[in-house]
Amino acid sequence: MEFLNVFIKAAFIENLVLAYFLGMCSYLAVSKTVKTAFGLGLAVIFVLGITMPINWLISEYLLSENGLLGIDLTFLRFILFIAVIASMVQLVEMVVEKFSPGLYAALGIFLPLITVNCAILGGSLFMVSREYNLTESVAFGLGGGFGWFLAIIAIAAIREKIRYSNVPPALRGLGMAFILTGLMGIAFMSLMGIDPAVFTAAK
Amino acid sequence: MKESLIKFFHRIEPDKQKSPFLHTLYDGFFTFAFTPNHVTKGGVHIRDGMDMKRTMVTVVIALQLCYIFGTFNIGQQHFDALGMYPGVFEGFHLKIFHGLIQILPIFIVTHVVGLGIEFLYASRKGHPIEEGFLVSGALIPLIMPPDIPMWILILAITFAVIIGKEAFGGTGMNVFNVALLARVFVFFAYPTYISGDEVWVSGIEKSGLEHLSIQYGWVHHLLDGIFNSFGWSTFGPGGIPTIDGYTGATPLALAAKEGWEGVTKVYTETQMWWGNIPGSIGETSKPLIIIGALVLIGAGIASWRIMVSGVIGAVVVTLLMNGLVPDQLGPDTPGVFKFMAVPWYYQFYMGSFFFAIVYMATDPVTASATNTGKWIYGFLIGFVGMIIRVLNPAYPEGWMLAILFMNVFAPLIDHYVLEANISRRLKRAKAKTVTAG
Repeated sequence: MEFLNVFIKAAFIENLVLAYFLGMCSYLAVSKTVKTAFGLGLAVIFVLGITMPINWLISEYLLSENGLLGIDLTFLRFILFIAVIASMVQLVEMVVEKFSPGLYAALGIFLPLITVNCAILGGSLFMVSREYNLTESVAFGLGGGFGWFLAIIAIAAIREKIRYSNVPPALRGLGMAFILTGLMGIAFMSLMGIDPAVFTAAK
Repeated sequence: MKESLIKFFHRIEPDKQKSPFLHTLYDGFFTFAFTPNHVTKGGVHIRDGMDMKRTMVTVVIALQLCYIFGTFNIGQQHFDALGMYPGVFEGFHLKIFHGLIQILPIFIVTHVVGLGIEFLYASRKGHPIEEGFLVSGALIPLIMPPDIPMWILILAITFAVIIGKEAFGGTGMNVFNVALLARVFVFFAYPTYISGDEVWVSGIEKSGLEHLSIQYGWVHHLLDGIFNSFGWSTFGPGGIPTIDGYTGATPLALAAKEGWEGVTKVYTETQMWWGNIPGSIGETSKPLIIIGALVLIGAGIASWRIMVSGVIGAVVVTLLMNGLVPDQLGPDTPGVFKFMAVPWYYQFYMGSFFFAIVYMATDPVTASATNTGKWIYGFLIGFVGMIIRVLNPAYPEGWMLAILFMNVFAPLIDHYVLEANISRRLKRAKAKTVTAG
């Protein structure tokens, strides 16, 4: 139940893109077609879902004062988190290159750039500051990734649709993507304020 | 009559080169009265009397009942608050005129601002006026609270038309429903003015434009004089805007606190069904909205698939929530559970579900285009909307937000419906070649 709460919250209510505006660079750049957006979205789900528990283990057992080393190493948090994320992205990149060369070519530089996608590092840091436990951090990783995935394929579908619209020349491309993201943010505000935890607590 | 009208139109036609703005304006009104002479050439096309302007006008006609009842209801609620003329037909003309005084400024401002922007863009871009704002302009006054300050209204419409429509390339291109964007803009930017929790019954007092309220008082006095000369009853003290500004809790706000029993303490079921309750102008009367829906379905404009699946979605969620409620409902259980326990058929008595699903969700531009997509789209609107209504303590009503939410995903739904269709047909084609081979 706890798992579901955190998942729903991360995916819909506190969407990483549309509520926190994290991970915008790849979100804006790769959302031109649904197909590539789908691929990148899956990659983000995978990377978030894997890095989150690993980072949780690291920060709990390696970096904290009560950990295995017994020294407070929290100042190393950023470097270690980034290192974990980078190695996971490397893994994804190899898998994608092996099994889907077309997608690999379409994603181009943005696949390795997931490493510095702020949604992923941001997710890990949220996990630390919100003091999630292991299950919750897995849920948060998968949920956050799913929310990101949903946001990017939705905007990609809209951008495919408005490709034939008579958009004012100055707004074509990125300008429209920014306006769309803002309007989508307004739409996602509709779910803000729902707290799934209330129901499980009272039940 | 017809010939003289045509002659008149030809006489006043302005020069296109010299004054493009005037010509655009002229063109708009000319095509409103007559079908233009030029026809489509080449390619496949369907000949039909229903062009975009006629489609839009049909929707506006279907909305008229809501307008008439809404106008009456503003007056009714106003006099209810003052404790005068409790019967439906007592002081009928007073109620209608009071409603008109409230609704006409909103209506006029909406159209002047919205159509003004539309005309400006049309003349700048050099295309004929698009009729898109006719429906939005008819819907916006109906979903705003009766005493919304004019400057907020102007701001909201400007935002919705420019960012929501013209940036996307004009009528028929917008991804988000324009009327909804206007309402949501007010909702998020000026939450104290439009909450839905407590809806204004009447009075311009909260607006911060006190000098306007003097003008309204003046209008009432003028009308009093006219009614007096006919020997009818006059506004009397009812014409003076009350200083405190009466606000009544809507059924939804009551239900969120105490469940269905809390609602029936204040309003009867018949009252809620016929719409004699406080609320936004167009949303309160359920039977009139259903008549409007039948008109729209009969004319083949609104999609019945969206309406039906929307109702199904709402019912499914309510049943799910009924099942989640704890068995014992004491006085200190949170209001959410009491709201969740409301049976599904009572949920329809409250709020703006019908209005939203009939006029907002079926907007052919922002809804899914494929038939399968429409089922999914409508179902999810019902699903998400009911969740927002009951489970989200921040917002009392969910339909407008739910529709906006689903507008985001409509193109995605279409995309996958099309993909599925393509792959199914490919498979069928393959199977055929195999058997043939």
